Amino acid sequence: MDELTFRRTIYAEPNTTDPEIIQAAKDDPAKQAFWDEVKAMDAQIVQAMNIPVPENFADKLILRQGLDEFSQKRQKRPWYFAMAASLAMVAGISYMTLFAGNNGLVNDVYAHVSNDYIMKELSMSQSNVTQDSINQKMASFNGVMSKDIGEVVSANYCYLDTIKSLHMIIKGEKGLISLFVVPDSESKGLQDTFSNSEFVGTSFLLESAKIIIVGNNTDDVSQLQKVAKTSFRF
Amino acid sequence: MFTRNKVQESSVSTDMMKKQKRYEALVKALHADIFRYAMWLIRDKAIAEDVVQETFLRAWKSLDSLKDEGAAKSWLITILRRENARRFERKQFDLVDIEDVAVADPNELGDVALEHRELRRIMANLSEEYREPLMMQVLMGFSGEEIAEQLNLNKNTVMTRLFRARNQIKEALLGDQPKGEQVNG
Repeated sequence: MDELTFRRTIYAEPNTTDPEIIQAAKDDPAKQAFWDEVKAMDAQIVQAMNIPVPENFADKLILRQGLDEFSQKRQKRPWYFAMAASLAMVAGISYMTLFAGNNGLVNDVYAHVSNDYIMKELSMSQSNVTQDSINQKMASFNGVMSKDIGEVVSANYCYLDTIKSLHMIIKGEKGLISLFVVPDSESKGLQDTFSNSEFVGTSFLLESAKIIIVGNNTDDVSQLQKVAKTSFRF
Repeated sequence: MFTRNKVQESSVSTDMMKKQKRYEALVKALHADIFRYAMWLIRDKAIAEDVVQETFLRAWKSLDSLKDEGAAKSWLITILRRENARRFERKQFDLVDIEDVAVADPNELGDVALEHRELRRIMANLSEEYREPLMMQVLMGFSGEEIAEQLNLNKNTVMTRLFRARNQIKEALLGDQPKGEQVNG
C-alpha cells in the first residue's frame, strides 16, 4: 500500500478495521508510528470536544416536555366547547346587529307611551292641538297631515333612541293612543307589529316616513292605523 | 359509554406512561452527546440549549416513529440539524452574519485545560463542512456511511472531508508551535 493512500485512510478514519491498513502498519514501523500519532491526536480531539453539559440538563429536558404536555392537555378541550363558544359569539353579534338597534327603538317607544310620560306630555300642552300646528311640525319630516285624525291632545318632538320623531297623543275610543312619525331611513327593520304586556304597536311605511302607532287597545290602534294611512302625505 | 371511555382512558394512560419512560431513558442516555453536538454546531451555549430543547420536544412528539432504539442517536441528530436549520430560516432577515458573531470563544465551551483550549479554538474555526462530519465521527461514533446519509453526501466525499479536517487541525497545531521546535511526523 502506498504512503498516500495509507495516510489518507488513517486521517479519514483513525479507528479503521480495514485489514489492508492493519497489515500495512504491521509491515512498516513508520506507518504504525504515523497511525499512533493520528490516534493520539484523535484522543485529544475527543477530549477537547468533551465540553461540560449544563447542570441538570436532562431534568430540564424532561420537565420541559412535561410542561409542554400539560399546556397541550389544557388546550385540548372537547371540540364542542369551541363550537359552543363560537355559536354564542355569532348569536350575540347577529342579535346585536339585527335587533339591538330596533330593540332600542321599540323600548324607547314603550317608554314614551308609558302613563307617566303621557301625563307629563299632557301637562305641558294645551288640549286639542290644531291641524296647523301639527303641520308646522310635520314640515321637518317633509310631510303634511291633510285630514283630521281625531282629537290630538299633544304633538311634540321627542327622541326615540336618538332618532328625532314627532310624537302625537290622540284620544281613542278606549284610551290614549300615541302616533310617532320617524324618518324611514332611521327606523329600518322595525317590526310591523310589536307588543308587550301593556301595549300593542304597529308600524308602517308611508313614502319616506314611518308611522308608529302604539296604544293599550288593539282595536284603537288598528282604527288609527286606517285613518293615518289616508291622512298623511310625505 | 362511560365504561368504554374509562377502559380507553386507562389504556391510553399506560401507553403514555410507557412513552414517558422511553422518553426519559432517551434523554438520560443521549442528552449529553446531543448537547455537545449542538454546541459544536452552533457555538453559542444559550442557542445550543434552546435548540436541544426544541429537538427533544420534537422527539417526544414523534417518539412513536422511532422504531429502533439503536437508531436513536442519528434520529436525534437529524431532528437537531433540522431544528438548527429552522433557526436560520427564522433569522434570514437578520443582518448580522452568525458566522462572524460566533467566532469561537473558548470560554464558552467550558473550563478547559490549556492544550484543549487551543485545540478547541482550531476546531471551532474549522469550516462547518469539515467540522460537522468530524463531530459525527468523533463525538457520535457514526460510521462513514451514517455520516454520508446524515449529510446527504456520498461516502467518498465524507471520507475526503474527514481527511481534510484532521489535516487542517494537524497543520494548525504545528503552525502554532514556535519555530525551531517544529516536529515533523
